[in-house]
Amino acid sequence: MAEAGPPTEAERALRRRLPRRLPRRRSDVYVNMKTDFKAQLSRCQKLLAPGAGGGGGCAELCIHGLGLAINRAINIALQLEATGGGALRLAAHTSTVELADAAEPEGDSDEPQARTRNNSAIHIRVCRAAPH
Amino acid sequence: MPNAKEKKRAKKMKNQPTSVIFSSDGGPSPHAMWSQNGGEETHQRKRQELRSETSRGYSHQSISHGMPKYLTVSPFVRARAAEIKAMLKAATQKSSNTLVFQSLPRHMRRRAMSHNVKRLPRRLRELARAEAEKPEHQKKELPKSKCRKARRRHINLVAEFNRRQKKNIWLETHIWHAKRFHMVKKWGYCLGDRPTTKCYRACYRAMANHCLLQDLSYYCCLELIGKEEELLTALARMCNVDSGPTFAAVPCLAGRRQGALTVYQRDRYPEGALGPVTFIWKPRNESAVGSASRQLWIWTHPAFKQDILAELKAVCHCSEPMDSCIAKPVVTLPQEESKTDITEKVGQKRKQKDDGEIDVPVKKIIGDGTRDPHQSYRWISQTSGIMISDLTMEILRYRLIGPLSHCVLTEALKAASVHSNLETTYPEMNSWWVENCRNPEQVSLHHRQEAFFELLQGLSSSNIPSGTVLGLTVGDPRVNLPKKRSKAMPNPEKYQDGEKVRQLTLEGVSAECAQSFLWDRNICNSVTENKMPEQHLNSLRSKLLIPGSYLDLGPQESKIPILLVQQPGKIAGEDRPGWGSGWDIYLPKGWGMAFWLPFIYRGARVGGLQEGLKHSLYKRTPHVPSDYPDCPAGIQFARELERNLLEKFKRRPPAKRANYIKHGTLKPFFCPWEKLTLDWEARNEASHKYVDSSVLESEDLAAEGEASCGPSHGMFVPESPRRKEMDASSQNNVQMEGVTDVTELHKGDEVISNCTFCVLRRKKLLRQVSAWCQPAYVKTRKIRHHASALDQQEPTADTLLPVVQRYPRALVWVCLTLLKRGSPELHAMICIPSKDDLFQLSKDKHFFGPQEPKHSDVFKNKVLKQKAMKKRQSIGKGKQNSASGTMNVIPTKQDDLVLGLWPDPLPDVTSHCSRVLLGFVTQGDFSLAFGCGEAVGFVSLTGLLHMLMDQPKEQKGLVLLRNPASLQYRFARLTVEV
Repeated sequence: MAEAGPPTEAERALRRRLPRRLPRRRSDVYVNMKTDFKAQLSRCQKLLAPGAGGGGGCAELCIHGLGLAINRAINIALQLEATGGGALRLAAHTSTVELADAAEPEGDSDEPQARTRNNSAIHIRVCRAAPH
Repeated sequence: MPNAKEKKRAKKMKNQPTSVIFSSDGGPSPHAMWSQNGGEETHQRKRQELRSETSRGYSHQSISHGMPKYLTVSPFVRARAAEIKAMLKAATQKSSNTLVFQSLPRHMRRRAMSHNVKRLPRRLRELARAEAEKPEHQKKELPKSKCRKARRRHINLVAEFNRRQKKNIWLETHIWHAKRFHMVKKWGYCLGDRPTTKCYRACYRAMANHCLLQDLSYYCCLELIGKEEELLTALARMCNVDSGPTFAAVPCLAGRRQGALTVYQRDRYPEGALGPVTFIWKPRNESAVGSASRQLWIWTHPAFKQDILAELKAVCHCSEPMDSCIAKPVVTLPQEESKTDITEKVGQKRKQKDDGEIDVPVKKIIGDGTRDPHQSYRWISQTSGIMISDLTMEILRYRLIGPLSHCVLTEALKAASVHSNLETTYPEMNSWWVENCRNPEQVSLHHRQEAFFELLQGLSSSNIPSGTVLGLTVGDPRVNLPKKRSKAMPNPEKYQDGEKVRQLTLEGVSAECAQSFLWDRNICNSVTENKMPEQHLNSLRSKLLIPGSYLDLGPQESKIPILLVQQPGKIAGEDRPGWGSGWDIYLPKGWGMAFWLPFIYRGARVGGLQEGLKHSLYKRTPHVPSDYPDCPAGIQFARELERNLLEKFKRRPPAKRANYIKHGTLKPFFCPWEKLTLDWEARNEASHKYVDSSVLESEDLAAEGEASCGPSHGMFVPESPRRKEMDASSQNNVQMEGVTDVTELHKGDEVISNCTFCVLRRKKLLRQVSAWCQPAYVKTRKIRHHASALDQQEPTADTLLPVVQRYPRALVWVCLTLLKRGSPELHAMICIPSKDDLFQLSKDKHFFGPQEPKHSDVFKNKVLKQKAMKKRQSIGKGKQNSASGTMNVIPTKQDDLVLGLWPDPLPDVTSHCSRVLLGFVTQGDFSLAFGCGEAVGFVSLTGLLHMLMDQPKEQKGLVLLRNPASLQYRFARLTVEV
């Protein structure tokens, strides 16, 4: 195997790290691609629903999406707006998130390396429109 | 009433021999009765006896109801005497183990009967008195002098504690743990197994969202000091670059990172694994460049310690113990010391030592649980000058798991203050720190370390490069202990962004900041000795003008050198990167509780061994020592586990046990790795023979080969489950005969491939196997991102052959995720799904797996027969005593036959069930982190490659999982994470 092995991909193992995490309030929703879309939407709806107990009662919501999940974050926000019946207002901000990748060497002779790369992110504020 | 009385009497007489007459009033005891009744009774007696004599045909007269004509007195009397003797004996002995008053009917019992004899009816008093005098019914009385107050007095308490930890060493947090945990005695220590409270989920949440604290002080530290080249050449023989970075890895050698690897017996790399270790090199000293002497700590689990230590000594040629450092028998020492203290000092002084459990273990614990206290703990080599010392229990180690473990650390610990005016020195305390503060270089280093430590606040523990080491000197953590327990949360205001943070996250801590005074033995000892007692601190606190305000000790405050080491969480695999990462903190001994409580006051939750197990399962790392089946300690652990499980199994009534034979489980309590690898090797060879000559060598093997390897030759015939069922049932019988020739076949192999099985740890090959295991859709996704050569190669017979030939008996560590329902258990079986199963799965999304046909228990009759034989024998033995002793005892050959367990020579384990066995699960449970059943285990490499060869692209890596006590197979996805 070693003699006629596959061409070595690299002598390093690439490990992707999660982005830095800010402290999270109850009204922050981080959207991912793994959880079911419906579940994420209903979670947002529950948070926005009136009533202090049982997860509701948030005046405003922050929906964060990173990379591939940006589309989904926008989708959720639009769905919320559509089902809210005009009571909700959206405000979107985009930003860039710095991500770190580490390359751990497999052998002894190399130093571990790391690099940063940027990824786009979106933060959508969903808040109740002031009653007219 | 007389009616009732008679009834009772009739009941009483029911089982009495007819030849004995009881007086109707029932005297105090049979003995007394006998003496009382005297002469008159004998006449009556004789008459009765005569009658009985005739009925038994004792005399040679005609058997009639009439009187015998004559009677020979002497044999008659002898017989009677024997009878009476037996009866008396029976009357004095109690047959059951009940107390006397328990023989009374309910309505005659009185509350105080058990301790007041007078409450009993008079006829029973004698017996009861005799019973009460028996030693087992007497209360264990404590020594008179030890009233509770005396027992709780500090000196006595300490003596008691010392006595109790002679056999199994206590950690410094033992008493804290013992109040809250189920304690187990393992590896020579008393360790907390799991909390007594319900906290399964709470602990999971702690490690996933906040911080879980564990005391790992029982881990053993081995220190190697010597020249760098000498150390590296010696250690290089024990590890191999194939399996990842070794001791010589650049970042580790610089002291910036902690390294982890598996060590092997020297020069035996793929085989002869000894166990996993982590190691830290002391950073090179900038000032003393000339001396190339380096210091290395190797940390290992106590189960592996002896093997590794012995191998290290052999590798470094360290045989001579250093005379000066031979450990004194210190186990008794603390007690003596404290006693002398008492005699010297009185009153106030004695009370000063009252921080009890914390203070005591401080006293030079050298003898730990894993070695004999009389043995030396330091060895030196004359040739290379390498010194190995065993620092077990010298350095404490706590592990904080979770993303917010930083917050706990940064809130609980404050970097030590630098002494500004160096004139007012306190000679005994902190002299090393004062010395250090005089050196401006050291002061600036301290400030840099402090800055790094401050930076950590805003980061999560997975943001730091794995294995980062940070040295630090901190102030006394007891000083800023909060009044109430609170949860440390990150402060958004302290979030720093910028170049420094980026540098820290990318490159980690620089080498000189990894320097710590913890490496210096003398400083550690002085820190341990000069610890301010808890009581002293409290008395100072009580003298504060404003109660509850901050206690400023000034220069008197202790300074403690610590070492922080980042523990990488989940690094392998795709999902949840960095899950379960955290920090290890290394402390000098004696400061255990002083650091433990502040962490808890910052909201860390404490877990025991079970939580550690779950943590390693969720982050999918091999657990120590259960996931090292090729190490001697791992084998021993497995044997112990088997014994425990078997005992537990046997404690149940036979009808309530699972019959594992019927479930088709050969070894429910132990994984027969040896047999599994051997069987797979045999199968492999058989299939090759089949390919080469196309001639069926043996009927059995070919049939099995068809089931698994057939498809590779393109002539798979889908077998109906019905036929398989028949096969399985017939195999049960056939295999019993077939066992012998199969094992003979293996014996031949053993000569060729000289060794036992090994676990595959070669990174490259593992990566290749991992790529092979991935189903097609994952690969296409990956190729889009970063195409790699590994992904494109397909598992074909040509590519697999060299692997199989090179590692005929290798095991691969795999992770399994269940597709649908089900939670795998310990020792669940990993099997290869048949074509049919995969077809059904692709057709029906809700198909959750085939069923194993019920096996027949061929051993049941044998067990029953054996049981009957035993019974007969025991009866026979009873008879033998009276009758002749000629009946020879048949030696029970198979006395280990247990109903429901397969006796020892196992049949072919791979083909015992309807699906071909691939491996076993070593840990498995419902994973809260993943939301479905998850397991880790080992499979045979040969078997795995065979399976991959046959599976369609879309369904690569699908296996079946079956619990030992269940017939239901469930689908799981197999992944190899590198």
